[in-house]
Amino acid sequence: MTEVSGKNGKAGRYDAIVVGAGHNGLTAGAYLAKAGLKTLIVEKNDYIGGAAVSRELHEGWTYSNCSYVCSLLRPEVARDLELGRHGLQVIPYEGGATFLNNGDHFGSYAEHNAFRREIQRHSPIDADAYDRYSRYIMRQCRFIRPLLLRTPPDPVSMRPKDLQEMMFLLKRFHDLGAREMADMLRFWTMSVGEFLDEFFESEVLKAHFAGSGIIGTGLGVYSPGTAYVLLHHYMGDVDGSIGAWGFTRGGMGGVSKALSLAFMEAGGEIVTGSGINHFLTENGQVSGVVLDNGDVYEASTVVSNMDVRRTFLEHVEEGELDGDFIKAVKRFKIRGSSGKLNIALDSLPDFPALPPNSILMQGDMHASESLDELERAYDDWKVGKWSEEPYFDMLIPSQIDPTLTHPGKHMMTVFVQYAPYELAGGESWNGPARQAFADTVINKIARHSPGFRDKIVHMEVRTPWDIENEVGLTEGNIFQGELTFDQLLFNRPVPGYAQYRSPIKGLYLCGSSAHPGGGVMAAPGANAAREVLSDMGRAAVGNGVMGRAA
Amino acid sequence: MSVIKKPAMKGVQRGLSPTPFHDFLAPMNLEQSWMDWAGFLSPRHFESIESEYFAIRNQATVFDVSPMRKYRIAGPDALTVMNRLVTRNVAKMRDNRVAYSIWCDEDGNVIDDGTVFRFTATDFRLCCQEPQFSWLNDVAWGFDVEIVDESLDVAGLSLQGPTSYAVLKAAGFNGVETMKPFDIRHFDDGVTVSRTGFTGDLGYELWVPNDKAAALWQHLFAAGRIHGLKPVGYEAVEMTRIEAGLLLPGKDFQSSHHALRSTRGRTPFELGFGWMVDFGKGHFNGRRALLKAKETGPRYMVVGLDIDGNKPAYDALVYHRGKVEAGHVTSALWSPTCKRNLAFAMLKAPYGIGVTDDLFVEIYRDKEGKWEKGLARARIVNRRFFDYPRRAATPPALY
Amino acid sequence: MQYDTIVIGGGHNGLAAATLLAKAGQSVLVLEKGAQPGGAVGVTRFKDGGSVPRYAHSTIALGRQEISDLGLSRHGLTGREAPLSTLLLSDDGRHVYLDGPSVAYADGAAHPDAAGFTALRDRLSRFADKLAPLVAAPPPQLEGGDWREIVGLAGLAFGIRRLGAVDSREFMRVLLSNVYDTVLDEMDDSPLAALLGVDAVLGGRQGPRAPGTVLTLLQRLRNGGNRIVPKGGMATVVDAFAEAASAAGVTIRCKTGVTAILTEDDRATGVETEEGERITCGRVLSSLDPMTTIRLTGIGQFDAEDVRRVRNIRTRGAAAKVNLSLSAMPSFTGVSDKQASGRILTAQGLGDLELTYNAVKYGEMPETPIMEIVLPGRRDAEMGATLSAIVQYVPYDLQGGWTDSAKKTLESKVLDRLEGFAPGLTASVQEAEVLTPVDIETETGAPGGHWHHGELIADQMLMLRPVPGMDRYEMPVSGMYLCGASTHPGGDVTGLPGCNAARQVLKGLKKRAAA
Repeated sequence: MTEVSGKNGKAGRYDAIVVGAGHNGLTAGAYLAKAGLKTLIVEKNDYIGGAAVSRELHEGWTYSNCSYVCSLLRPEVARDLELGRHGLQVIPYEGGATFLNNGDHFGSYAEHNAFRREIQRHSPIDADAYDRYSRYIMRQCRFIRPLLLRTPPDPVSMRPKDLQEMMFLLKRFHDLGAREMADMLRFWTMSVGEFLDEFFESEVLKAHFAGSGIIGTGLGVYSPGTAYVLLHHYMGDVDGSIGAWGFTRGGMGGVSKALSLAFMEAGGEIVTGSGINHFLTENGQVSGVVLDNGDVYEASTVVSNMDVRRTFLEHVEEGELDGDFIKAVKRFKIRGSSGKLNIALDSLPDFPALPPNSILMQGDMHASESLDELERAYDDWKVGKWSEEPYFDMLIPSQIDPTLTHPGKHMMTVFVQYAPYELAGGESWNGPARQAFADTVINKIARHSPGFRDKIVHMEVRTPWDIENEVGLTEGNIFQGELTFDQLLFNRPVPGYAQYRSPIKGLYLCGSSAHPGGGVMAAPGANAAREVLSDMGRAAVGNGVMGRAA
Repeated sequence: MSVIKKPAMKGVQRGLSPTPFHDFLAPMNLEQSWMDWAGFLSPRHFESIESEYFAIRNQATVFDVSPMRKYRIAGPDALTVMNRLVTRNVAKMRDNRVAYSIWCDEDGNVIDDGTVFRFTATDFRLCCQEPQFSWLNDVAWGFDVEIVDESLDVAGLSLQGPTSYAVLKAAGFNGVETMKPFDIRHFDDGVTVSRTGFTGDLGYELWVPNDKAAALWQHLFAAGRIHGLKPVGYEAVEMTRIEAGLLLPGKDFQSSHHALRSTRGRTPFELGFGWMVDFGKGHFNGRRALLKAKETGPRYMVVGLDIDGNKPAYDALVYHRGKVEAGHVTSALWSPTCKRNLAFAMLKAPYGIGVTDDLFVEIYRDKEGKWEKGLARARIVNRRFFDYPRRAATPPALY
Repeated sequence: MQYDTIVIGGGHNGLAAATLLAKAGQSVLVLEKGAQPGGAVGVTRFKDGGSVPRYAHSTIALGRQEISDLGLSRHGLTGREAPLSTLLLSDDGRHVYLDGPSVAYADGAAHPDAAGFTALRDRLSRFADKLAPLVAAPPPQLEGGDWREIVGLAGLAFGIRRLGAVDSREFMRVLLSNVYDTVLDEMDDSPLAALLGVDAVLGGRQGPRAPGTVLTLLQRLRNGGNRIVPKGGMATVVDAFAEAASAAGVTIRCKTGVTAILTEDDRATGVETEEGERITCGRVLSSLDPMTTIRLTGIGQFDAEDVRRVRNIRTRGAAAKVNLSLSAMPSFTGVSDKQASGRILTAQGLGDLELTYNAVKYGEMPETPIMEIVLPGRRDAEMGATLSAIVQYVPYDLQGGWTDSAKKTLESKVLDRLEGFAPGLTASVQEAEVLTPVDIETETGAPGGHWHHGELIADQMLMLRPVPGMDRYEMPVSGMYLCGASTHPGGDVTGLPGCNAARQVLKGLKKRAAA
């Protein structure tokens, strides 16, 4: 963990203050510091990283206790901030599998021939259909990737920059030609289940792919709009391999650590251990922050890494904002839908469904075998229950990262969908429910891995409630807000305020509740920094971030 | 709590698969030079590319084409489905004939090429490079046919070269003398012979159920020894393919099913395949788009080039008058038989259509660590560079 | 005899298309399989003399344009029909009654959410009016639209912008949002909250939480979103369309099923009837769904990609119809006769609606179905003591199939639900008719028994309806058009798909004449 100063009773004046040392806050801070601004990042926890952290919660085991794999991190940001030199290494992982209740599995091999044979084993016709499917997805990726580092235009505005950006988007769209335009409109509005139904007949294949359409959302596989969520998980890359995911060496804290090194190398300062109490404002202009410990830091530019609801509903005096804005912020949907288990294992678990020593174990493992099973898991969530048959995304990064634990021991991360933020009947998560939730998941894993329970040395259970309390993500939503169309692009987070600015002059948003949304992407942070610098009349930093300030 | 029992299945086989002829190929592959052809171990070359190339042009050779995709389309609507698929009119084919054909998507862009085997009006085989199972099922949807992927059940040997006929005669394939190009004949032990190939020379392709493959190989080699029969690898075959003027999807053009960019598809007219499009046979896939494309004229043209000098123009850009970029070379070689520097190039209209003169290709030469760029003059020529009458003579000459 | 145009299917859309073409001077023949025109607007007559609308029991108020273009007002559809009132039954007895602008408890007490509800409904209605020009015209073209269309779209964008910055932003936000959140952002869940949800999902296979349901709702809120039953009942609707068609010179032949659409050189040239008669014509309009139309023409006439797209249209219906003949008019506890004279909904809230939707996803019947009920006899005594209920969500693809016992199960679920609100109703049932989505498919030809001939949700709307490439009513075979509910703007008794298709035909003719 990065050493940072954190003594009480401090005060100071800065050019810019970033509230929250999540990966987006660190990114924004690093860009600002590199532009020559005297920049401070304040962080409520004793450690930095927000949801991109590596923590030793059990002696000898390092957990990526929230986010756990990396793909979306913008390569432009990694270049601009020289994250490689600052120690970031992302190792693409192979394979992945879905375990079936009949003892078989579906393996997602990275190697083309093996994958083709594997699909063929489950459905000959799907093997060819997969090629058509991946081209379809890749076309969508090609369209969306360049938009991630651009500030969305305000479609209502008549400012030349907005009109220009609007024209840019429309032209880009129109250039696709009639057929692809229609394909794209369908894709953006379809459900992942129905989308997959159009390509494949094999249930397990569909179930395996569909997981990416629901991870982190309060939607089911048959909810329209989830095909886009699938894209959101496909549009990243590892070293140019689009759609690939990887482990960060040392855990996801490695991302935050590299970002913080870039930030501090550029002269930035970080203060940890006390969260913000409130933003200081004067005549509708931000003037600084007051921390919970009473420290006061002044700056006429403050960038909030917190989500839009936290920022404006909890840390700004209500009188500073007009009612319509507050209403719009209140209705921004941030729904907790997932939980997590971090498990220290005495030895590598056995999955008899897989071939011995299979590379598939080094990837993402699941045990939901049909779209119906996934949809029923969503039905449970709708009534305030965690899924009886949860979907999980289970990985054992210690197989390829020796820094996480002792040789022979293993760290397992299990992302679980769905878990509601509010349990039915008002039951608290801070009681027997937490263990019961964990048991549901462990039982499902153990069904496919005999003796699994005996290998558990330590387990950390993260419910949506825990994630909210620890990280500050409202309801424990990993994206700082649902990724539905009414909350994307110029609608994110609030129509009219999608360009990282807010009704309070000098107060910006740089978290995932801003465009283009969540995941360890660093795009909102980079985009926000660009807007801040543009407002200051300063040149943008780096060649990687190609988008223009709005 | 139930624990799921260990399954009988253990996933897929990893690594390249041996073809049914692998046990014969492996000991003969002295260079141990293999490549991945559709997931199969396919010889790149056995001893030397040159000896194999000249064997194709002078004697008889076998190339293991088992990795080709083979689909059986059978049933009352088989003819309708085949005619719906390809641009040619398979109704005009006689039974037991083969036709080279292409098939298009709804935009009239070529998906793939291959050979259509018409056994009867209700029984066809399609043989091609790329997997088409899902596409065939789309085309056949609503029709009374059964589509079987025979790719893993049927082995294939391409027997090519001037003495290939002699080998077959010696091996006792009686009646082969009356086989005209594109004829199919059925022999004992499930062996089907078609007078087809992709060397532009006299040649046959032998198709056999996997379990009869070993016997066929042994039989052929026993009979073929005195006729110089030897196995060849991909490298030599590739040379003869270019000499024969045959295009390879994925290299000389992009299958529309493999293009991410919607502008990469090419119509048959742009590939010089206009002769294979039969508008008079009723609807077939892409017909409406092709009618339109025919009206608007080609946007590109694949041409054969004869290039000055002897350095093959691999991956070269083509310029008009040395300045304006006109396209790029897709396949190139120095032809040891034609003694010409040959290439296929994809030119953007009007080059290759209205404008055919003053073309140059850019060739880079590594002169011992110093790279030199040169522009070599190129002339558009008929792309069937190698065309000997012995290819089509029936009965073929006994060399 | 040769006709300029043959229209397959004598439902209201087929008739509307025929009428417009005839009015433009064409000779038009409508071929209807059934004994009388009407399609999804038929009547069930019970043994004791009572009757009930067989499928649709109300209609969305027709647009003024269609009424005048088709000349419907002379045949009983004036566009000035009084909208139906709405009664929302509540399990706790606190029913809600909406009549015109008034929103209150059935007992007259003020409803706490009345103001919030009204404001939301008004705002959405304003949005719907902005979208209305899109609905009443062929969908905009993604590429190659002519200048008139581009001007039209610019006008639409300008119209949206004229809502003001706040409202136009809100418009773009809610457009693809879900009705569940959109309503619950404004009020607590209750039968009143459920009303807009029901309006969005009725007849479809989506829950109110599904993103895109607001767009569906907006399309239905056009013209104030009022439901009407014309004087003389739903039969009047069919009659008006049929009479208008006849008046325009259309020939309507019933009991004439079409077995094939004939083509020559990639052009539609006529049809073949069940009797083997071949009737030639210049063009064919089909009000059947695209797949049936393709099959009639021959799958081989279409590219595989088109067929695949059509195969992928989601058409599984989720609405059943239960028609009851009763010994006496049902009496709902705490409800006056007048309050029961419009449409009656049983959804207890958006949450209830969403949970009821769960079962249909797995081919199961819901525990407690949700209904839209109409008592036709309350408005037209001649229809007697009957009850008409649209029942949702009832799967087309019921696990185990629609056996007689499954239908019985559905009937008893419906009666149990009704009994709770109207004690004694079950005992008064003389005759019951259960029409599952499968029955509706068999009787009307609607694929999947879906009354829109295809789910009406964002990815199957506008230029994506029925599939990209056929969105302008024209089929790839020249001289062949679609004019049924499967096309934009979808089902409901609006006649709009038919009108739009006919306009598109005429536009094409004009273009050709000019060239």
